[in-house]
Amino acid sequence: MRNVLPVLTVLCGILVIWYAAAVWMNATWVHDQAERAGVTVTWAEVIPETMAQERPLLPPPHQVAAELWQGITGQAVTSKRSLVYHGYVTFKGTMMGFGLGILTGVLLAMAIVRYRVVEMSVMPWAVISQTIPIVALAPMIIVVSSQMGLTGRDIPKAIIAAYLSFFPVLVSMVKGLRSPDQMQLDLLRTYGAGEWATFVKLRLPASMPYFFASLKVAVAASLVGTIVGELPTGAIEGLGARMLIGSQFGEPLIMWSALFAAAILAGLLIVGVGAVERMVRLRMGVPE
Amino acid sequence: MKRLLTGAFLAALATGAQAEDVTLQLKWVTQAQFAGYYVAQAKGFYEEEGLNVTILPGGPDIAPTQVIAGGGADVVIDWMPSALAAREKGLALVNIAQPFASSGMMLTCLAETGITTPADFADKTLGVWFFGNEYPFLSWMSQLGLATDGSAGGVTVLKQGFNVDPLLQKQAACISTMTYNEYWQVIDAGITPDQLVTFKYQDMGVATLEDGLYVMEDRLADPAFQETMVKFVRASMKGWKYAEANTDEAAMIVLENDQTGAQTEEHQKRMMSEVAKLTAGSDGALDVAAAEKTVATLLAGGSDPVITAAPTGAWTSIITDKALAN
Amino acid sequence: MSDKPAHWTMETFATIQTMKFVAGAGVGVAAVAFADPGLAGILGFWVIACIINVWVVRFLGDFSHWLAPVLFGATVLLVWEMVVAVYAISPVILPAPSAIAAKIATSLPILWTDFAQTVLKGAIPGFLIGASAAFVTAILIDRSPFLQRGLLPIGNFVAALPIVGLAPILVMWFGFDWQSKAAVVVVMVFFPILVNLVAGLQASERMQADLMATWGASYWQALWKLRLPAAMPFFFNGLKIASTLALIGAIVAEFFGSPVYGMGFRISTEVGRLGLDMVWATIAVAALAGSALYGLITLIERGVTFWHPSQRH
Repeated sequence: MRNVLPVLTVLCGILVIWYAAAVWMNATWVHDQAERAGVTVTWAEVIPETMAQERPLLPPPHQVAAELWQGITGQAVTSKRSLVYHGYVTFKGTMMGFGLGILTGVLLAMAIVRYRVVEMSVMPWAVISQTIPIVALAPMIIVVSSQMGLTGRDIPKAIIAAYLSFFPVLVSMVKGLRSPDQMQLDLLRTYGAGEWATFVKLRLPASMPYFFASLKVAVAASLVGTIVGELPTGAIEGLGARMLIGSQFGEPLIMWSALFAAAILAGLLIVGVGAVERMVRLRMGVPE
Repeated sequence: MKRLLTGAFLAALATGAQAEDVTLQLKWVTQAQFAGYYVAQAKGFYEEEGLNVTILPGGPDIAPTQVIAGGGADVVIDWMPSALAAREKGLALVNIAQPFASSGMMLTCLAETGITTPADFADKTLGVWFFGNEYPFLSWMSQLGLATDGSAGGVTVLKQGFNVDPLLQKQAACISTMTYNEYWQVIDAGITPDQLVTFKYQDMGVATLEDGLYVMEDRLADPAFQETMVKFVRASMKGWKYAEANTDEAAMIVLENDQTGAQTEEHQKRMMSEVAKLTAGSDGALDVAAAEKTVATLLAGGSDPVITAAPTGAWTSIITDKALAN
Repeated sequence: MSDKPAHWTMETFATIQTMKFVAGAGVGVAAVAFADPGLAGILGFWVIACIINVWVVRFLGDFSHWLAPVLFGATVLLVWEMVVAVYAISPVILPAPSAIAAKIATSLPILWTDFAQTVLKGAIPGFLIGASAAFVTAILIDRSPFLQRGLLPIGNFVAALPIVGLAPILVMWFGFDWQSKAAVVVVMVFFPILVNLVAGLQASERMQADLMATWGASYWQALWKLRLPAAMPFFFNGLKIASTLALIGAIVAEFFGSPVYGMGFRISTEVGRLGLDMVWATIAVAALAGSALYGLITLIERGVTFWHPSQRH
């Protein structure tokens, strides 16, 4: 709670800067138009003009807020014009990619912890895979997966999202599965526990804090992947597609509102993952 | 991997068995440029022919030629230069119908840059679309003798994004526009037509054929596929003629099919009325003279021609002959 | 597995595991061979390669640290080559690695121009500007806990946002040349670095800070001698995350307008021209550039934070 005041102060500061920048950036257009029309304008006339342009260079906050509000509440949530609908499409893609990423990350981590050869041959490539810009691969992923009979855009989108989100899970899970110390492992051995029992009873529970710590990073990465997948690669619906259409038709308000909708979605996802984490921790009896 | 490949194989079998399913890959996002097909679907023209047509919208990273090469579509919409270039790369595409009679592409310049004739392009920055759409521009420039590699006396080429910002922000002296789309975005942005100078490719004598229907050559040998395409072209042209006659209704049909929900009625209605002007002269049959002129334009590409030899068998009238017979 | 006799060594156990694996894989390959001989060949090759790798790791000791990943990479490339050949995949869908290598060899000048435009002019300057800005901001707000408490949650939130979406807007603002690419990179890397550095500056232990105070160290002395060094592992963590983002940002921005060279331009244009070998060649360069950037930061980190437990081997 003690953060509320500072955060609000900073937010106010951002708003002030934003308004000032909007006036400054949008004024050029007003001046140009006035020049083309052959009239001179004073600043008193320019400022209101910069606040309500149809295609502003930088829309002032209230215009974005109004467009966002209109996009969310202006129509039924199932309408194609609703940001809620497109947010849901993006959310679905994010979740599919997130799930796939978790699965890949956890399975790879298990193989790595169990087999030294997997660790030595795969781990360096996992690191390199993250240095390959996903946007370069995205069109290729779509082509190759459609060649494999995976038509539709959902699966390629999920693969792109998973490509970004599996890595944080992998790294944390490897750390987590290795976190039990020798004493604990020895104790399990005295109980006569086999490899599988050690895994289920000791390694897996011990890795949980690491796992959840990685989820917040992974879900954010998954959202970025989904939007990248929707943006230049056959965007049909979703927030990324709206950004593209907004850009193509020179409608900055559509772009900005999609951007802020994506920000809200990111916030909700992180809060959601945090809530699940707390629930699991309580169930497992981990002290706060 | 194996299951996936088997899946692909089965999917390929399935499309072969049910010949009446047709998948159409558009060149770009859902908009009135493709109104004829959406109208044919909404008005049941495809259904009357016994076809079940799926229309796949395109996007910035979707090359129709690649989609059809991968078996993702039965028929694609593409521009002839791009299709011919793909043909030279070994992808045997054949034009079976040409709903767009004339070219809608132009170069739109700000009058304040002092450009009045194409000769004034020298040392200016020009915005061009790439992704297969750059071929007509490159041919034109090489006919004008203007280098496009950034050397002195030539033109500086800018890969413009999907909108008209480079012109509005004065980053380019001229940008590529379509009569039915981007030109009006410039006007909407508050610039009046007398502040603009436009060069239509059609008027400059360097027009190339735009939106045509292309299929793979090997499949065209199959009489059943031919029959399906005859039905498809017939119904599509019916859709186009309906759209031409009822532009507002056609625009609304397009809007209903726009899954992004970001398109506006105003844009689409205007686009539809402009597109109608381009399709007006065509009954679907390819004008061979226009196709040969496209080839000539592309071959005239100087040191860096788009295609190196005149193609053979790149278009056929067997579909339109049958489709227009009755 | 729990029924294994206790006197078995790990080694025997592993060998038996390998034999089981080989036997199982052999049966599987034989079964597939009836349905699809090509696939069987590929699978058989894969199994053999895996076994070789297992032996390399077991018997070659230190040598295997770099041999194992190289073998794995080579295996993947060979399998790719075989899949393309066996299934006669069209080069406009997926070119074979050999075709891509040939393309790289013949188009080095183009690849270099693209690399210079996107990485040297776009990503690296943007990365340096963004990192410096984050560094300065972190120091500036360091003296104001109020600002820190305000900025940190917001910074954390922004660091999780899909900033890529800003690319079309920044291209509109800064023009189509490298300036807009650098701007996208600056915005993308700023927050992850800032958040990590601010967290790092708070990481020095209370006791060490007290010690500094008893020695009468000024704020700047304490910052320079204790807190900045202590923050370095965090700072470098931020830099590593940002190095990947920098390349993504520079390439995405080129989708929305660019000169007629650059890696993003090449990828989006060549896909349209069905020049898939060129697309993959550019991807290879991007991977190389990304790995080199990451490697460079890791090297510098080793030099700067040699004292940190994570660097001790």
